[in-house]
Amino acid sequence: MNLKQELKNIQKALLTGCSYMMPLVVAGGISFAISLLGGTATDSGMVVANDFMANVKIIGQAGLFMMVPVMGAYIAYSIAGRPGLTPGFILGYIANNTVGETGVKSGFLGALVLGIIAGYFVKWMKGWKVPTYIKSVMPILIIPLLSTFLIGVVYIYVLALPLGALLNFLVGFLGDLNGTNQILFAVVLGAICEIDMGGPLTKTVTMFTIALISEGIYAPNGMYRVCVGIPPMAIWLSSVVFRNKWTDVDRTAAKSAGIMGVFGLTEGAIPFAIADLKHVLPANILGCIVGSVIACLTGVESPVPHGSFITLPMVTNKIWFCVAIVVGTVVAAVVMGLTKKPVEQIKAKNE
Amino acid sequence: MYVVGITACPTGIAHTYMAQESLEKELAKRGYEYKVETQGSIGVENELEQEEVDRADMIILCVSIQIENQERFDDKKVFYGDVDECISHPDRVVDKALEFYGLK
Repeated sequence: MNLKQELKNIQKALLTGCSYMMPLVVAGGISFAISLLGGTATDSGMVVANDFMANVKIIGQAGLFMMVPVMGAYIAYSIAGRPGLTPGFILGYIANNTVGETGVKSGFLGALVLGIIAGYFVKWMKGWKVPTYIKSVMPILIIPLLSTFLIGVVYIYVLALPLGALLNFLVGFLGDLNGTNQILFAVVLGAICEIDMGGPLTKTVTMFTIALISEGIYAPNGMYRVCVGIPPMAIWLSSVVFRNKWTDVDRTAAKSAGIMGVFGLTEGAIPFAIADLKHVLPANILGCIVGSVIACLTGVESPVPHGSFITLPMVTNKIWFCVAIVVGTVVAAVVMGLTKKPVEQIKAKNE
Repeated sequence: MYVVGITACPTGIAHTYMAQESLEKELAKRGYEYKVETQGSIGVENELEQEEVDRADMIILCVSIQIENQERFDDKKVFYGDVDECISHPDRVVDKALEFYGLK
């Protein structure tokens, strides 16, 4: 077995799981956030305003709960194809509930590991040489039953404890981050999320912050969501302020990038970054780090898996959320404007 | 030369379609006949039929997730490209595919 190839397969599986999970997080996260509107903050968390909001909360929580089994299922699906779905769903559901005498829950981390195990197990089962009369019952009886049962038992008796402990450690670690550690974390988060502007690395961070939402930790997502709109908005701002650094075509296109930024679509920055990677990317990374750190220091939290101004109604610390985005954007725009070469100079060089 | 392709990225709202556009442009520039399916978060669009897959000279899949209906490509020689490279340098992707198929 080629290890590098398998690692690539696993990465593809994680991205597939994340891909199918994303709409659930949106539906669940936004419903959940809406249910808290007008509620009162108490020591034991937010109390919803009325019965209707309590029902909206049920919808939201269902979405946020289901995202975990769905992620597990599609991780297994990516590795094993369709037969991977059944064990993936069931085992992901188990991971997101407390099991065993000690009542451990391993959440997204457990679902992720179980999804991978289920995927490879089913893939292996698919390769079994069986008599023809058994072959027809393999996909509807033997594979779903055996894979779910065996891995389920092994999980509950063996894997649940260490995985649960690992999850608790991770959740505790991020929950208790403070001072320098917290700032360092914000810097790394801000930097990573713009290095490939919405590419695989960004999506890995997305998955991480979304997974933490399902554990009730909203701060990393808050920092991250401040960042997503910064690059395209910074490009627009820079094209307005530093007119001589951008061509006419650039400046027209930058307007739509700016709008994409407001709606939290980092992708708007890609064409500009590709055209002038050396100057646009470092500026944007810097802007995102600034935004992320401000959000981190002021305790901006977001329970929704989308970012920039359009999510303003759903975030905490609304003013600082805006300040973080604006300051990050300005920093990125100014750095870009100062470092980019004037258009005439580039033209002259090309001629 | 008939080329079929699929593009798909994890989020399925932007890169998928940017990759499709850029791949189609490149294939058109080279005068090839082509069809590029997308698998975004809305699902499969511009779907490739089995017969189209069967008669293709090259199959270029620029996907970073597991695609739907993968079985269309069972027993076929398939070139896997990178979604991001497909957006920024479609010429390189097509060149690599040609090399992979020994058509260069």
